[in-house]
Amino acid sequence: MTGIDTRVDELEARLGDPWDPDNPAGFAAIVAADEREETPSGGRAVLDDYGILAEFVPRGLGGRLERVDHLVELMRSVYRRDPSLGLGHCSSSLLGAVNVWTAGSEEQRQDAAKLLLAGGKISCAFHELAHGNDIGSVEFSATPAGNALMLNGRKESITNLDRADAVVFLARTDPAGGPRSTSQLFVPVTGIDPARARFLPRFRSVGMRGVRLGGIEVDGAPVDRDALLGPTGTGMETVARAFQLTRMALPGMSTAMLDTALRVTLRHVRGRRLYGRTAADIPMVRTTLANAFTDLLVCEAFSNVAARSLHVLPASGSVYAPAVKYLLAGVLLDAVEQLSLVMGSEFYRRDGEHAVFQKTVRDIKPVAFGHIARAACLSAVLPQLPVLARRAWGKPGPRPGTGPGPGSGPGPGSGPAPAELFVADHAVPPLDLPGLSLVSGGQDGLALSLGAALDDELPGPLRPLVEAQADQLASLAEACAGLKPRDLSIAAPVAVRDLAARYTTVLAAAACVGVWRHAPADGFLARPEWLVAALTRLAGVAAGSPRDVPYELEGGLVDELLDRERRTVGFGVSGRRYR
Amino acid sequence: MRGPARFAEVVEDWSRQGGPFDPALLTAHDEAESFPAEACAALDQWGLADHYVPVPYGGRLDRLDEMQALLRTVAARDLTTAVAHGKTFLGAASVWTSGDSDLGTRLAGHIMAGEAVAWGLTEPGGGSDLLAGELTATRTGSGWSLSGSKWPVNNATRGRLATVLARTDPAGGPRGFSVFLVDKRSTAPGTVRHLPKMPTHGIRGADISGVAFRDARVPAHALVGTEGEGLELVLKALQLTRTSCVALSLGAGDHALRLARRFLLERRLHGRRLVDLPHARAMAGQAVARLLLAEAVAYAAARAAHEVPEELSVVSAVTKALVPTLVQGQLRLVSELLGARGFLTEVESYGGFAKIERDHQIVSIFDGSTWVNRGGLAQQLRLLRPGRRPAGPAGRPVYEWLREDAGTAALDPSRLRMMTRGDTLLNGLADLVSRRSSEPDAATDTLAPRLLDAYRELAGPLSRVRPSAGPPSTEVMRLAERYEWCFAGAAALGVWAANPSRHGRTWWDGGDWLRGCLTLVLHGLGLPTPDASAAYDQLCERLLSGDGTDVSLFGSRAGVPV
Repeated sequence: MTGIDTRVDELEARLGDPWDPDNPAGFAAIVAADEREETPSGGRAVLDDYGILAEFVPRGLGGRLERVDHLVELMRSVYRRDPSLGLGHCSSSLLGAVNVWTAGSEEQRQDAAKLLLAGGKISCAFHELAHGNDIGSVEFSATPAGNALMLNGRKESITNLDRADAVVFLARTDPAGGPRSTSQLFVPVTGIDPARARFLPRFRSVGMRGVRLGGIEVDGAPVDRDALLGPTGTGMETVARAFQLTRMALPGMSTAMLDTALRVTLRHVRGRRLYGRTAADIPMVRTTLANAFTDLLVCEAFSNVAARSLHVLPASGSVYAPAVKYLLAGVLLDAVEQLSLVMGSEFYRRDGEHAVFQKTVRDIKPVAFGHIARAACLSAVLPQLPVLARRAWGKPGPRPGTGPGPGSGPGPGSGPAPAELFVADHAVPPLDLPGLSLVSGGQDGLALSLGAALDDELPGPLRPLVEAQADQLASLAEACAGLKPRDLSIAAPVAVRDLAARYTTVLAAAACVGVWRHAPADGFLARPEWLVAALTRLAGVAAGSPRDVPYELEGGLVDELLDRERRTVGFGVSGRRYR
Repeated sequence: MRGPARFAEVVEDWSRQGGPFDPALLTAHDEAESFPAEACAALDQWGLADHYVPVPYGGRLDRLDEMQALLRTVAARDLTTAVAHGKTFLGAASVWTSGDSDLGTRLAGHIMAGEAVAWGLTEPGGGSDLLAGELTATRTGSGWSLSGSKWPVNNATRGRLATVLARTDPAGGPRGFSVFLVDKRSTAPGTVRHLPKMPTHGIRGADISGVAFRDARVPAHALVGTEGEGLELVLKALQLTRTSCVALSLGAGDHALRLARRFLLERRLHGRRLVDLPHARAMAGQAVARLLLAEAVAYAAARAAHEVPEELSVVSAVTKALVPTLVQGQLRLVSELLGARGFLTEVESYGGFAKIERDHQIVSIFDGSTWVNRGGLAQQLRLLRPGRRPAGPAGRPVYEWLREDAGTAALDPSRLRMMTRGDTLLNGLADLVSRRSSEPDAATDTLAPRLLDAYRELAGPLSRVRPSAGPPSTEVMRLAERYEWCFAGAAALGVWAANPSRHGRTWWDGGDWLRGCLTLVLHGLGLPTPDASAAYDQLCERLLSGDGTDVSLFGSRAGVPV
């Protein structure tokens, strides 16, 4: 199992037909397990046999992790089936592991790799209910005591905490506070004195009910000093690097929930007759399907490009990661909500062949707040806006006949993005997590690529839409260049936050334009129709007022959707064969 | 006489530990998917069912705004219970609509004796398409024989009585259906069978099940109205029920704001209070504006049912499409504020939020979904063009009949119509806007004039809408949505203009609620609202003040005459 295509095919074959009621990894088994607040054992077994956790282990440590976009693509097969399996059985371990890959010693990295390759779980114990996204304020502490660190405090709502083999803790190591007052520790569960620690009862939730959310209360448990990941005080720095990957990857995987919601909705409307016709012929149904399909393409184009940016434009991850998370969370939640209107009363059923829909409605909720909340994403982008505005966005791209644009601009890293950012099959530089930047320093090749697209070859219908995005970027540049530090804090005025939110739509638009420009000539993605639809939808997001895809494109998009459904092909960017 | 003012206190009292509305008990019912029997029994004992029966039949149903206040009060504690109990009003509505006084009196007796009434409209696979109904009634001797199934139906199993829409002409069509009031106890053994409870996403404790008839004999007097009148009766009854049941959304909104308010006041992030963060304030304020706008629309609709029942086919469609959507958006905002606490079901008593969200999603589905109602509005749009000559003589101006203390005409179902030829509320918009603009504090306020412009711009597109046989085009549905927003803006301005005596009182002073609601309306119309965050900020401030425990224009404790 080497290439991504082979790996996805292999995994899909093992997962089997989702609609087969007897498939232990099918929707029926998954819905039944959800009712019991479990993940389906059949699904877990399939993933274990496949060795899913090797996907999270870097190749150099014996695993299969090479490219972040491939990791996301593969995990979509799991999330499409059951996001509880995806998070609870798989990617929750990624949350802990990325910190080890980023800051761990060679020995710690080997230990973590061995653990995952053997099918063990790593829990990421950062969260405390009292502080939420403000993880810099954690109270759980690790205090030096001789050659040991003494752990004290509580961690709450932590995935798999009572089932994990090792835990990555975020702990306060300097009671005085400040940016270097926390540290991370990588601790084998056997290293925590059970007499000094108590696991909290499971936290129950309305969605992702198969995921075991636990907690722990520790009262003076000593752990070895060499459990520290990196030097003391670097806890938040490691977070800032490592979570660039997960803040792109987890929402990227979550697009598969919209794929499932679309698939169930299509199945429902094709089979349903209302007012003497099939529901698939009702105009609002068609519009909603075309909108949701487009939204899925937007989300996947943006998250795929962002995932590759960690290889290609590693300086910009501190901006792209929260931007992806913010934009995808909003678009995915809206799209599923709109599809629930198509489902009508069928949405409300927990039985029958469409029961997985209501589960999806519940499961998708954490995309808005899990790992990092939407508001916190904007807070992370905000302080970087002025330097981006001054150094990156100020340069308008070429219009026809205006000569070379920023593509030939100043030094490396400041120009528009190269082709490999936008396509799945070009080689990319290796992932260097410790080398990721804490701030972008004003480098934004993705946004700049918009200008590069405005060349003479841009088809007529697209030109005004792409120009509008370039104009949007120019107006953001103007508005952001003079922002003062006090405007950029957590207490930023709403109007300033809106600038950051609009910027995320420009980035998503640039990703879509790039994917279209570099798509294989005869494929669906090379056709301008989807891009016109995508840019229309994004303009609606930016305006805070939804816009339907243009009516004349609706039929083609719905036909494509129905055709993909018939061929059991994914609705997203890769259009990959699914079971 | 007991009125809602007292009722709110009673329900609050019931919500204490060990009471029939104890949140722990209601959560346990939800988990176990068991019927909230204690809560429903308490409501029975209090006599809530009397309020489902119009005064002429010996009950206490006098005004729909009062009915809304009662349902809202129950829903603010538990939406499942409100759905389970309030369903009897829906089940009975087609009988009240028929004006059949013998049948009405008999049904009234049952309801006031505590019997539940189900409303059998939906059939397996049929959804909202009433013309596709296959349950048939055929004449047998002096009576009728029913065969077929109704499913899913609220209270189908627990309700002793059910009003059932049946095909009486094999060819179907608009005159091919009739309504029957079936007393399941009077049918022969083996002819009526219950269909199993459907496991649902929310309102898990409610009795969502079905009933199947096999040659079930009912007497001649079970026929409601006349043969062939069924569809019309149902569609007119729906106008009354849709106007009333949006109160469920208002209650859900109340419940959610209670949780949001507490969270805002206690949450700290990055060394600051959450309430000091502008974006959190704007979200909370918008949540308030959504609830208040929903209340204004619901209130105006309830008044319109008495004052201009001829227009209720439009008013009820707008209300049922818009109010649950407004509150759904409100819940999204609260959900974003609460974050993990809105997702975890047992943390710090915020766990109730996830249930509110699940429960509330039924409101935009049942009694005609958002799209069904919007489609119903779309069918009438071309008759509603701004500037169209009014269909009849002008009645009382809006700012009189929306007055809190205005007398209301008795509910008269015989005045309900299938199609509306004018919209008194929106026809009065220009007048309402000029009244608003003449107020000293509103001279520079452009919100209302901009709303009027947006409404007038609908004239062109609406005049081009053509009657269509099938479901409306997306373009027309989007026009209908714009119409809804204009209606909501007119409702808010109308409520404001009609109640100057409230202008200095809680939630009204300074006109903040009106500005917040009009801002929301303009945003809904896709227009720029540069001052939105300032308007929402003001509403957030009020939410956090002592007045914030009761976010309401007319108050859930007072205001509704006893």
